[in-house]
Amino acid sequence: MVNLKSAIPAMILSFIVYIVYTGSIDPYDLLTGAIVAVIIGLLTGEIVIKDPGKAFDPKRLYWLIKYTIWYFLVAEVKAHVDVIKRALSPRIPLNPAIVRVPYYVETDYAMTTIANSITNTPGTVVVDIDYGRKIFYVHWIDAKTSDPGEARKMISLDFEEHARKIFD
Amino acid sequence: MLLNALLIFIGEALVAIGVFCDLAASIGMIRFPNFYTRLHAATVGTIGGAVVPLIGVALMALGADWLGNYRFFLAGASIVAGILILLLAPVGSHVLAQAAHKAGLASHEPIAFDHLEEDRRRGEKE
Repeated sequence: MVNLKSAIPAMILSFIVYIVYTGSIDPYDLLTGAIVAVIIGLLTGEIVIKDPGKAFDPKRLYWLIKYTIWYFLVAEVKAHVDVIKRALSPRIPLNPAIVRVPYYVETDYAMTTIANSITNTPGTVVVDIDYGRKIFYVHWIDAKTSDPGEARKMISLDFEEHARKIFD
Repeated sequence: MLLNALLIFIGEALVAIGVFCDLAASIGMIRFPNFYTRLHAATVGTIGGAVVPLIGVALMALGADWLGNYRFFLAGASIVAGILILLLAPVGSHVLAQAAHKAGLASHEPIAFDHLEEDRRRGEKE
């Protein structure tokens, strides 16, 4: 039996992606988009969405938009400037290390958001993850500390707070 | 008309930023000493050098009203491609790094300390 409640957010998302991708609102595109969206939603809704109530929460949407803007304008710019400076400076100042960075979120979506955010900022890459002890192993291009708590504050605290408000 | 000119100008600026990021990333790719540090240069190339110019292309297409209705198709395709790269590129870097570390194929030096190696030795991480 297909769970309709969790199929609806998946349908809406795939319909939006379809319409944005085709870039037109002709009846033909709306119809094919709706058919594709219904099929995709029924097939994947149960797998990708556990709690459909969260998908329609405007507060989470607000935090998602705020996080996206902050991430691109502040976090990414800072990290890019830092790594480009290192790549172009004559001495190549590096102090790489792999540090433990603990995380305190529950859902898979929040974990993935944090890991992707860490990897997408130049200068930090998640190398491995320990689900049992809730630790990311992060390769850090300029390791300022070897203490996991301090490293969490410097690398992932902002990402984690936003990810918790969006997905947890 | 002013809005179109502004969109095209901002789009071109974003593409120019992308060119600079790509250049810096390729220089870093050559100059950095080992596999893991080169991954950081590759990240500069995917976000600053692929996602940002794709958004710039989308803005330019929206401002180019001589393209007719095709401008929405161009803009939409660029935005969807940008978001997909943003979500999927880190998975690639992450899997490459994990596999290289697990198999011990890439040299770790220079490295200040390596907690993952320590935990593997102590058997806390398989």
